Amino acid sequence: MTTIDGSAVRKLVVACDAGMGSSVMLASTVRKQLAKNGVTVEHTSVQEIPGDADVVLTHAGLADRARGVAGSTPVVPFNLFLGDPAVTKVVTAIQKGQTIDV
Amino acid sequence: MSEYTPTVTGTGAKATVQRFGGYLAGMVMPNIGAFIAWGLITAIFIEVGWFPVAQIGGFGENADGEAWTGLVGPMITYLLPLLIGFTGGRMVHGNRGGVVGAIATVGVIVGTGSPMFLGAMAMGPLAAWIIKKIDEAVQHRTKAGFEMLVDNFTAGIVGAAMAIAGLLAIGPIVDTIMGWAEGAVGFLVDNSLLPLAALIIEPGKVLFLNNAINHGVLTPLGAAQSEDAGKSILFMLETNPGPGLGILLAFMFFGPRLLRPSTPAAVVIHFFGGIHEIYFPYILMKPQLIAAAILGGAAGILTNIMTGAGLVASPAPGSIIAYMAVTPRGGHLAVLLGIAVAAVVSFVVAAVLLGFGRKEPKEDEDGTPSSSEDLDAARAQVADRKAASKAGVATSESAPPATA
Repeated sequence: MTTIDGSAVRKLVVACDAGMGSSVMLASTVRKQLAKNGVTVEHTSVQEIPGDADVVLTHAGLADRARGVAGSTPVVPFNLFLGDPAVTKVVTAIQKGQTIDV
Repeated sequence: MSEYTPTVTGTGAKATVQRFGGYLAGMVMPNIGAFIAWGLITAIFIEVGWFPVAQIGGFGENADGEAWTGLVGPMITYLLPLLIGFTGGRMVHGNRGGVVGAIATVGVIVGTGSPMFLGAMAMGPLAAWIIKKIDEAVQHRTKAGFEMLVDNFTAGIVGAAMAIAGLLAIGPIVDTIMGWAEGAVGFLVDNSLLPLAALIIEPGKVLFLNNAINHGVLTPLGAAQSEDAGKSILFMLETNPGPGLGILLAFMFFGPRLLRPSTPAAVVIHFFGGIHEIYFPYILMKPQLIAAAILGGAAGILTNIMTGAGLVASPAPGSIIAYMAVTPRGGHLAVLLGIAVAAVVSFVVAAVLLGFGRKEPKEDEDGTPSSSEDLDAARAQVADRKAASKAGVATSESAPPATA
């Protein structure tokens, strides 16, 4: 289990295979949700997850590769591109500054 | 921030194939804008296009009796492979690798007759890797003040050598391989075996190999074919939005009730936005639905073979809008038919597999055939996490049977 301190998240990265399609879509959704929280939301390919990311969201099918790149940064896998509970949980934790286990 | 992260296990076969395919696709995808530009110019301005212009499309002669070069030929022969070679080189060794990769790519371009996408995908990274190794060996020996001189000349010498090697040696080899690949595709088309490709493509897509399959393999082959024949069916194998549309519609009407509200948005994103990833999770949740995707995909390919449908350039992303933009003049009905047939077949099969919603509350937790062990593991992990934190929300089959 990894913990994420929602109040310490400054940069959230959404990763997908190419960093051009689905990650852009989810990143724009999350960016709107976190607009007031001063969190940078970026999208990348799983090969290019930046080292200064605080938390990484990626589809469960890509999570293994994302973990290989992200190192110690927590990787949160999700299943649905729309309304996945894992994504909602991270967003809520950041909005409310809660600490969660992922 | 975290003291402990689960062991890194990015070594499975799926991850390896994804990574290699992602590497190939990574050379093509950043340049899709150039492919689209070429596709639009081709569809509109060539002799059989919507609005033929000799000077742009490159047919006919000018007042002095010289043949127009046009934009179409030079763009696909030089611009697109050079961009791929540059991007491939940059992935290995930054801009410097990109430059050397582009120089080397010119060699394979000139050395052969057909558009050298595969050659560019080999030469760009190879040349960049060589200059990277040379940089590592030379840089720490370079005397202060001579860095620029050494850097420029090592890049120039390696680039020149690789361009010559590409022209004389590697180009002809890649040309032969391309010939085999085109022959194999031709054989599959001629014998109506191409629909079998759906057996590989549709499961591959759902495992996030979609970009690798399409942009790593099919786009380069298709572009070569399109230059010769004016269109290619290969662009439509992976990108056909029909199978995904059928599955999403089946989910909308017959899927688990909790998921139904999210599907109309998914349909729009998939069909018009062209982000196919949106439907993959729906199949991963009900793996038996892969049969619907395969049969829909195969039916679409068969339809396209029978109608002779093809696209001028790769529709990227696989949206109906991109499809219509790169369809050659007179081909729209055939292309739409291929999408419609794929969508109907996949919808019907998916609806049957979902039991028309009647067996919807039933759980299919175990005993469902799964295409990959990794996938199961991944889903189990997700399930663990969800179960640990959120018992109430059940959106996937791995969650406890609260859905009923």
